[in-house]
Amino acid sequence: MSAADVLAILQGAVVTVTLSLIGILIGLPIGLGLALLRWANVPVIARVVAVYVSVLRATPLVTLLLLLFFALPNVGIAIGPVSAAILALVMNTSAFNCEVWRAALMNFPKEQYEAAQSVGMHASLRFRRIVLPQIVRVSLPGLVNEMSLLIKVTPVLAVVGVVDITRAAVRIGAETYEPLPPFLVAIAMYAPIVFALVSLQRFIERRQLAAEAA
Amino acid sequence: MTNDMAVLDVAGISKRFGDLQVLSDISFTVTRGETVCVLGPSGSGKSTLLRCINWLERPDAGQIYLNGDRIGINNGGVVMSDRELSRVRTRIGMVFQHFALWPHLTVLQNLMEAPVQVQRRPAAEVREEAMALLAKVGLSDKADVFPARLSGGQKQRVGIARALAMKPDVLLFDEPTSALDPELVGEVLLVMRELAREGRTMVIVTHEMGFARDAATRILFMDRGRVVETGPPERFFVSPDTERARQFIQRYAAG
Amino acid sequence: MIRDFAIVWSERDLLLSGLGNTTILSVLSAIAGLVIAFVLTPALMSKRRWLALTVRVFVDGMRCVPFLLFAYIVYYGLPSFGIRLDNWSSGLVALTVYHAAYLAEILRGAWVAQPREPIEAGVAFGFSGPRLFRRIILPPLLLAAGPVIGNQMIQIVKDSAFLTIIALPELTHAASSIQSRHYVPFAAFITAVFLYWGLCLVIEAGVSGIDRLASARR
Repeated sequence: MSAADVLAILQGAVVTVTLSLIGILIGLPIGLGLALLRWANVPVIARVVAVYVSVLRATPLVTLLLLLFFALPNVGIAIGPVSAAILALVMNTSAFNCEVWRAALMNFPKEQYEAAQSVGMHASLRFRRIVLPQIVRVSLPGLVNEMSLLIKVTPVLAVVGVVDITRAAVRIGAETYEPLPPFLVAIAMYAPIVFALVSLQRFIERRQLAAEAA
Repeated sequence: MTNDMAVLDVAGISKRFGDLQVLSDISFTVTRGETVCVLGPSGSGKSTLLRCINWLERPDAGQIYLNGDRIGINNGGVVMSDRELSRVRTRIGMVFQHFALWPHLTVLQNLMEAPVQVQRRPAAEVREEAMALLAKVGLSDKADVFPARLSGGQKQRVGIARALAMKPDVLLFDEPTSALDPELVGEVLLVMRELAREGRTMVIVTHEMGFARDAATRILFMDRGRVVETGPPERFFVSPDTERARQFIQRYAAG
Repeated sequence: MIRDFAIVWSERDLLLSGLGNTTILSVLSAIAGLVIAFVLTPALMSKRRWLALTVRVFVDGMRCVPFLLFAYIVYYGLPSFGIRLDNWSSGLVALTVYHAAYLAEILRGAWVAQPREPIEAGVAFGFSGPRLFRRIILPPLLLAAGPVIGNQMIQIVKDSAFLTIIALPELTHAASSIQSRHYVPFAAFITAVFLYWGLCLVIEAGVSGIDRLASARR
């Protein structure tokens, strides 16, 4: 395994991180939107969202990805591997984020909301200034946890031909007939990213616990 | 070292946690049928003393004998293995402050668990005895209920029955009523009085002065990790030898 | 579109055997993973520092590695050490070992949150070693951690889909075969998605059953 090979895997890492970030950034607000629809109990739509979330939480990312990659062109929507990958990541992570957001919304103290009403804040102001800052805080550990889970499923993207860490490693393994070294290099790239996120989650939890204790 | 009547013989027990000397050179014997109440201000080491007797805490120095058998150190002079300790512990019943019932087992199963699983006694025989014990503590109708469904007083009565089911040589009570609502204390003390009258050998750490006064055969008064005074309750409560005991009685008799 | 689903229906045997294999894989590795976790968790809680540390490194290591890469290493990497497993064995080993680490951490978390006194009572009543763990410590842990373990089971089902990549004939692999044979991607994969959903609903029903048992005991 040559230095060029390591570099190739590193380039794959850039792709992995970029796609994950895009997935996270789009998935976060969509998850919040879905959670709000359920929280507000919008008729019919709330039920549809509930089923959507339930199905997606049960769907393996590979299966979802293959579905999107092969079926969308079939109904006339041209989609490349990268777009299919991003779409699959967003659908997957938004379902999980929705549950995290929803839990925070359900536990939001009603008094706070009424207090904001009593000082004459209108709905959107109430949400932006009172509800959102607090549920972000509560949801943060869960959201970061979901991010580390998301990174851990990205190797699937290689299946449709996205050249991420995993696909680069597989290719090198096939060329050199030595599959182990490139896989170990690949793990060495994933592990710090996931470890950083897991540590971040623990740090946030500990800081919040300390703040509550004080 | 041990006399014939001594069920429990504690000789020179010491224990420290870090810089804190919790127990200093504690010695006493408990003879068959005695009810010894251990009194003293909180933090005086009473609970640690009980936990040292069955080696839940390992004492730093001293010896403990149960009917002449050394606890914690085997015949070869080395610290007992977990297995050996377990065998000795089955001869010492313990009642816990917060009941410590096993939440996944019903009341009857709680009573049967250790006799069947540890002592390996036949289940049918144990069940019969366990039902009799439940009748004795007035909880026959709760046999198949999970502990979570019981009141604190009921839980502690189950805790006592569970300890009795082991047929132990001695019963240790670690503040059995201090986690209870005041109105539930009476039913537990009633059971304990009954046991005292039957002549069970018991060591009871408690803050219930009334109970100690009329159920104990002897008081052991501890302060700052030492036995300060010991004697029959009539003398201890009326004319204690030490100033510290006198202050303690005054404070608690008032409260 | 209806014609597409008719094609999928005509291939139902393939799909059902895929579903069967996914179920077998998940159930076997969930059980084996739990059994391994029953050994790992007391080790994590052990007072012997070296033991606790070794297991901690394994558990945290697994939690930082994507499952697919781990499965690749078991399937393609182990032969470098002279260990050659077929796709079924590698799949099972990978799923089991990987999730055993997660399950061990779940049980450890539940253990730490348990009240200390009932365990101490177990010791005082003569329980020790494996019997203490099996009879006194473990049952309340399983009840308390039921929902989280259920989530992990769902994760196992989903991770088993990765094994399509090492040509294990599980559900996603069956859907892929149907799609490539007849070119009916939507019908094939959406059917698979709903079968996965059904599987997870069954797990969730099981979890709520356990939760009912648990709520009677707390």
